[in-house]
Amino acid sequence: MNGFGSFRALAINEVRASVRNRTALIFTLGLAVLFMIIFGLLFGGSGVSVSFDAVNNDNTAMSTSYLKALKGVSGVTVDSKSHTAAFADLKSDSVIAVLVIPKGFGAAIEGQGPSQKVAIYQAGGGSSSTAIADDVVAQVTAAFAGGGHASVTLGAPQSAEVNQVTEMDYMLPSMIAYIILFSGVNYVAIGLVEKRVTQVLRRFRATPVRSSTILAAQVVGGGLTVLLQILVLVALGVWAFGAKNYGSWLLLIPPIVLGTASFVGIGFLITSVSRTSEAARALAAMITFPLMFLSGLFFPISSLPTVVQDIARVLPLAWASDALHQVMNDGAGFSAITTDCLVMAAWAVVTISVAAWRFRWD
Amino acid sequence: MIHIEPMPAATRLGGEMADIDVSGLVKRYGDVVAVDGLTFAVQKGEVFGMLGPNGAGKTTTLEIIEGLRTPDAGSVQVLGTDVIAHPSTVKERIGVQLQATALPPFTKVREAVQLFAALYQRSRPVDEVIEEFNLGEKADAFTDKLSGGQMQRLSIALALINDPDLVFLDEPTTGLDPQARLNIWGVIESIKGRGKTVVLTTHYMEEAERLCDRVAVIERGKIVALDTPRRLISQYAPGTTVEFANVPGLDVETLRKMPGVERVVVDGRVSITTRTPETVLHTLLDPNASWAPAEGADGGTAGEGEGAVRDLMVRHGTLEDVFLSLTGRSLRE
Repeated sequence: MNGFGSFRALAINEVRASVRNRTALIFTLGLAVLFMIIFGLLFGGSGVSVSFDAVNNDNTAMSTSYLKALKGVSGVTVDSKSHTAAFADLKSDSVIAVLVIPKGFGAAIEGQGPSQKVAIYQAGGGSSSTAIADDVVAQVTAAFAGGGHASVTLGAPQSAEVNQVTEMDYMLPSMIAYIILFSGVNYVAIGLVEKRVTQVLRRFRATPVRSSTILAAQVVGGGLTVLLQILVLVALGVWAFGAKNYGSWLLLIPPIVLGTASFVGIGFLITSVSRTSEAARALAAMITFPLMFLSGLFFPISSLPTVVQDIARVLPLAWASDALHQVMNDGAGFSAITTDCLVMAAWAVVTISVAAWRFRWD
Repeated sequence: MIHIEPMPAATRLGGEMADIDVSGLVKRYGDVVAVDGLTFAVQKGEVFGMLGPNGAGKTTTLEIIEGLRTPDAGSVQVLGTDVIAHPSTVKERIGVQLQATALPPFTKVREAVQLFAALYQRSRPVDEVIEEFNLGEKADAFTDKLSGGQMQRLSIALALINDPDLVFLDEPTTGLDPQARLNIWGVIESIKGRGKTVVLTTHYMEEAERLCDRVAVIERGKIVALDTPRRLISQYAPGTTVEFANVPGLDVETLRKMPGVERVVVDGRVSITTRTPETVLHTLLDPNASWAPAEGADGGTAGEGEGAVRDLMVRHGTLEDVFLSLTGRSLRE
């Protein structure tokens, strides 16, 4: 049997039909673009200004130089305060975060003491600017820790290399994750259930094409639709909204493909447990909407209650979002997103296998 | 109920193979027996009709023969191949039209034909098929913009895209207006004209009478009669039927005792079977007839010559009468 020819014809038909489905496009690509426009208008696409308080418990040349590097980032204001004063500022919302430099920070960087952690405290709620602040601190800290001895003298020039992540830069990976979530789940879940209800799947099965080919074409077609939308979104984000990618474009492929696969898998799983397209729609909404708010798309996960954070960290969107933000905003390498990718791959394999096993043709 | 002996299939007689040879077919859904021991054969080049009300098991039987469902018992040979063991071999050589629309969404006519052509090893040229089914003007239209008749033509075109030897049409004209129905009948006759074997289900008598070489009357998963339409009529609906609107207070027993009356069936309308319609009509139209309540008891609005008989019709037997006589109920619920 001409298996691949059949698969290709079915998958192409699926992608073409999805692209023509304007109502669905409005909820996926359309809303993603709208979110970017809203955030673009609100924040003007320029660098955000954030102010921290810093509590310097180390008071060595190294910690002073570290704070100086932070202050050198444009848009960032850092004031050294006492512990009490700093937390009072945080409580009254006059700063976005408090940075606590531990005793032994300098010694740790010079390799003469145990490793130390810079703590960052944020007021509840959080927003995407908190996330950007986190990014800035993370990058400066990484530069210090990673630079070893040389970092002492590098203080000021190094700060110039810090990525000045704008709202738009933060929103682009968020909206890629949004499309992965909504398109991945909805195109496959609702599309496949509707084809079952209207007997389209049955009609395909009346041809010599293998059942597995029919399902694979539906799932791959849904996945390709998601990837197409992401391409359009990224092109718009970069050229129309001036978003920047500080990392490698190629490195975006693994989290996008694996994230899409895991959400297409969840959509496929929904079709295996839903009898009607109404049921599939309801189930898809119950999964997608909470995930959207729990997975670091609009504000960082760290601002959520611990229990909720734990739940969010089990679900694949948080990993997709983390990997995309790390690459695009922090310029992270593959080693930084390996865990993210492995978790998403596991989700994809498990959901797709279970769904294929439990799939009902009528 | 009439018991049908298993038909000796041509294969067993050592002659030419039957296109379809079904034996002892059973399909259950929980406690419901949808197909209850069907045995029949369809010969090459014939148009075979399956007649019965909704839920009689026609579609389930078709879907088993098409390789879409597995039976609980029985065997099915299609074009000399065991469908249950080798469904894709059979699917390559048959054409199927399902009862539902069953076309992928957001797809244009030409794209749908191209898609289905790609699903077979061997297929006819796409444009040739589009022209043949008069869909040229609509080739670039979305399938959901087609009229009922155009949709059905497309659906049959897709069933013929692989140039099959055997075509299954499940209720090809249900829901169509009379003109579109005539058009589809023409299409089916031309398929037959090319020597293809056609199996169709329907609940339209005229359709079965006009198109089918043989008809199987199916009720509750069983074949209650199988023959040519003409022989079914002469066996189960001989004579003439006198039919009129039912009236309240009808005395069926008196009707049955009237001279010349062979059978009376009350099913919305009153149908009297007779070989002497003149005698029956004479008695029926007698103003002093005792079979119906006295006319005019509530004030006598009925005019002279108007008895209880309204909407009178005298006609020869049809497959509808065959069904009525075999099952005691009408095909169209």
